[in-house]
Amino acid sequence: MSPRFTLPLGMLVLLALAAAAIPLTGADPDAIDLAKRYAGPSLAHPLGTDELGRDVALRLLYGARVSLAVAISAALAAVAIGTAIGLAAGTLGGRIDGALMRATDAVLALPVLPVLIVLAAIDTQKLGLPQSDDGGLWRIVAIVALFGWPKVARLVRATALALVNRDFVRAATALGAGRLRIMAVHILPNCAGPLLVATALAAGGTILYESVLSFLGLGIQPPTASWGNMLTNAQETIWQAPWLALWPGLAILATVTAINLLADALQDRIAGRR
Amino acid sequence: MKRARALLLALAVTLGFDGAAQAQSHDTLTIGISQFPSTLHPMFDSMAAKSYVLAMARRPLTTYDKDWKLVCLMCETLPTFENGGAKRVPLPDGKEGVEVTFRLKDGFKWGDGMPVSPRDAILAWDIGRHPRSGVASGESYRRILSVVAKDERTIAFTSDRVTFTYNDFSQFEFIPEHIERRLFEADPETYRRRTTFDTEPTNPALFNGPYRIAEVQQGAAIMLVPNGQWAAKMPAFKRVVVRAIENTAALEANLLSGSIDYVAGELGFTLDQALALEKRHPARFDFQYVPGLVYEHIDLNLDLPALQDKRVRQALILATDRAALVRQLFEDRQPVAASFINPKDAGYAADIAPYPFDLARAQALLDQAGYTRNVGGVRQNAAGQRLSFEFGTTAGNRIRETVQQVLQAQWRRAGIEVRIRNEPARVFFGETVRQRKFQLAMYAWISAPQSVPRTTLHSESIPTAENAWAGQNQPGIRNAEMDQLIDTIERELDADKRKALWARMQQIYADEAWVMPLFFRADPFVVPKWLAGLAPTGHQYPSPLAIEHWHVR
Amino acid sequence: MMRYALQRALQGVLVLVAASFAIYVLLGLMPGDPIDLMISGNPQITPDDVRRLRELYGIDRPILSRYAEWATAALQGDLGYSRLYAKPVLAAIGPALANTSVLMLAAFAIALAIGIPLGLLAAAKRGSFVDAAINGFAFVSAATPSFWLGLMLIVLFAVVLGWLPASALPLPGQDGLGARLLGLILPVATLALVEAGEYARYMRSAASEALAQDWVRTARAKGASRARVLFGHVLRNAAIPVATVAALGFGGLFSGALVTETIFAYPGMGKLIYDAILGSDYNLALACLLMAAGLVIVANFVADLAYAALDPRVSVA
Repeated sequence: MSPRFTLPLGMLVLLALAAAAIPLTGADPDAIDLAKRYAGPSLAHPLGTDELGRDVALRLLYGARVSLAVAISAALAAVAIGTAIGLAAGTLGGRIDGALMRATDAVLALPVLPVLIVLAAIDTQKLGLPQSDDGGLWRIVAIVALFGWPKVARLVRATALALVNRDFVRAATALGAGRLRIMAVHILPNCAGPLLVATALAAGGTILYESVLSFLGLGIQPPTASWGNMLTNAQETIWQAPWLALWPGLAILATVTAINLLADALQDRIAGRR
Repeated sequence: MKRARALLLALAVTLGFDGAAQAQSHDTLTIGISQFPSTLHPMFDSMAAKSYVLAMARRPLTTYDKDWKLVCLMCETLPTFENGGAKRVPLPDGKEGVEVTFRLKDGFKWGDGMPVSPRDAILAWDIGRHPRSGVASGESYRRILSVVAKDERTIAFTSDRVTFTYNDFSQFEFIPEHIERRLFEADPETYRRRTTFDTEPTNPALFNGPYRIAEVQQGAAIMLVPNGQWAAKMPAFKRVVVRAIENTAALEANLLSGSIDYVAGELGFTLDQALALEKRHPARFDFQYVPGLVYEHIDLNLDLPALQDKRVRQALILATDRAALVRQLFEDRQPVAASFINPKDAGYAADIAPYPFDLARAQALLDQAGYTRNVGGVRQNAAGQRLSFEFGTTAGNRIRETVQQVLQAQWRRAGIEVRIRNEPARVFFGETVRQRKFQLAMYAWISAPQSVPRTTLHSESIPTAENAWAGQNQPGIRNAEMDQLIDTIERELDADKRKALWARMQQIYADEAWVMPLFFRADPFVVPKWLAGLAPTGHQYPSPLAIEHWHVR
Repeated sequence: MMRYALQRALQGVLVLVAASFAIYVLLGLMPGDPIDLMISGNPQITPDDVRRLRELYGIDRPILSRYAEWATAALQGDLGYSRLYAKPVLAAIGPALANTSVLMLAAFAIALAIGIPLGLLAAAKRGSFVDAAINGFAFVSAATPSFWLGLMLIVLFAVVLGWLPASALPLPGQDGLGARLLGLILPVATLALVEAGEYARYMRSAASEALAQDWVRTARAKGASRARVLFGHVLRNAAIPVATVAALGFGGLFSGALVTETIFAYPGMGKLIYDAILGSDYNLALACLLMAAGLVIVANFVADLAYAALDPRVSVA
């Protein structure tokens, strides 16, 4: 494999491994030490401490568990739903296209904030769902997928619309290829470009989005760390401790970069370049 | 790259580099507040931002001053039973009421030159007691049986009961009769949408204070200029601009960049933000921290079997080191509260101290209550019930979430498990607290000096489905002695006897531990060195009620 | 074409009507009504007051009858009264919409003006240092929260350098076109910078694909200049995904930008909608959300028309 794959992939795997292994150290990311609030970097705390004297480096690694899981699963969920709907609408056309796209419009027109507030009030225990110990992780994934798919659907449909009348698709149809086969073999691979860009950007966007959700109590509940709620907390301490926003910011940047580079490499591979 | 450079600059600022602080003449005072008032009508929708702005432009009959004493603003002397201004009167239904007579100061005029008269008080009373006018606390107006104009400057109010707050008219707002009567009579129900306060808020006739509103920039700013008809001490500034900046980090940036002069203590910085600012700019501002009437506390839901046991409730409080918490988070600027009564209040009982931090006693109490087994660090009783609670507050309130996590860690050491479940304010207040679905709930009350806790501690005020969840006794407190104390204290006119009743109330409150007191929130006043005469009040009647005394040093 | 447009307009209206009902129900589902909010900070309100106010504001009635009443009035052009802003709904929306339009249109235009050329340039110089730098910019742009960027710009340009105001709107009495423009620089820059990266990424990806097509090589081989190929052929062919994303961005214009507006104390639609929803100002919230929904529908319709214009092989009708 070329280094264009292995470098970003290696970085993500390394981050995931570190996040997975960190509990083995036995260090408690929620251990509070009020005597050491807002401490700068030191040997004991390589990235300093936060507003409760907790170790930022440790919380960053624990936060990676939540944030990477949310980012990747939410982005993939949104992309999967959006691709299916966009492909069907763009390829089949006509009434199906009309119905699917009006539904997409309706979801896009759905106001996010009231939906979130209603969701915040729903008591998962009352619905018969088990008391979740993941601090609301799957609720976040569901929210991001719900509001994320329409963009992907419109992108895929737009690209499919431009492809269905191309000669190679017409030829395949004339040769008797089924609609599913046309979608899977001829249309989908040619949508890879925008699709990969959308997926990669959505992964980063999701981590930022989670920071907004935690502001409404829909994110990860304290004291569990996530990059999103570390960012949210840093918003108010931007004068006391501006670096508290920097570390999760850099972690998000590194993740976004790795995922996007991976997407680029994949796009080139599909297009048969290099 | 961009990040790194910005970080360096942020650090430079953090380290005290002031940059663009400018020295200019102080004709205009620009005040930053964290909220924009909605309606400007003084009787609808009580809101701190509105009270703040209107305090510059309007004066009520009385108010509490910075020493928490009731004083006259529009009246000549405060009427009392002793000076004959107030007297007991028999009522038609056989009960006893109070008649209080106020004499207005000479020369009080609305901004258009019309003298303030008893007719303005009668209009306010008419609006307030009208069932369909939409005034929120209409009850207080309906307790007034009559308002009579004795002459052009003398008004007599008759109340339907004898209470010790008989001469407190601080929330009674005069409404200019010559402007508003016509609008109100046309249709009382829609009056609140047609009032001049909202259709033409710059009309000078609406204001009788040292300033009047001259311009309103929706959602952004309000400009005030001196009221030419003001007969008392003229204010020092030619213009006061009140600007709303909700984000407190941005508020700080505006202050440091010089685009606002002063951040209102009542509605501005959070305490820890001001403490940090003081470390960076000790010389540029005067810092005052004034504990006020915002009472932060944790309600314990008494419907839970575990919390019905007084020993468990007491252990919850004893297991927390609140003194260390306020020392380390707030540098002791907001001391631990012993009860709902502020130390500056006349009813405060100094001999009732807050619970100390006593882990051993907490452990002993929990053992006595039957939670003796330790399974995975969490106590259980013989029936296998874990000592575990859900702990909620308003999501996104960083100070509360910080305190919450400290308490969670402290309780863990006593074998009490607490799971944090925060919700947006409207879910939290609108449903969880209101309908008593919480287990532990942290939030705050705002009250006036000497306010009787009828709605918060009386058993009649427990919200239930039957009373449409009205009432604010959220823990579900039922205590016959407390009910009786509340009923008695309202009618007790003797200050010393009242003090004894207040003391007993605080004693029960402390002993029963239905509520875990945290602290009275301190308002940080960050005043530029050149601004003098500003005196924080620490209660709900804000400092601009004395704005005519603010001046350039 | 005409028939298609009419059909789409009709569908749009239907979606809007359905949305108005859905939003109304959604607002009603939110826990906590205006009276709850009034009580939560004021212990002096008595249970009797609560009952009286509920009845007065009509909150005690079922949601369907309230919706019917609202819809009847709305059809007659009366959108009701905003409780929070104490004025008719349209009067409350007016200034906020004007503020937001200026901010968002400027940011949208600048984000496109930065993103598209950068994306095109990156595709043309794929693999070079320029490409890497542009990608780096796009990644930073996608990973930077707008609150952080906004605050940092304020710290730099307002506090340290003192060149620009920290709040977007000039104070009353110091108002003027120049002051307004000066105040808009930082919020527009914040929004444009966090959005430009996305456009650059879509443009780069689409342009790379177009450049790899046979006909581009043919055009180059026939001696067409590089610039002519890029701008004449590639841009047009790569535009469909970018147009889609841009239409989605434009469709969100009336929703404002809550975070940026709050940081720069700029009273726009984002803040208005947020306050209306959190403050249970149903009339105001509904009107704002419907306007926002309408723009989403229109923007996507325009995008559909644009596909056919950009690529003659696309037929949407």
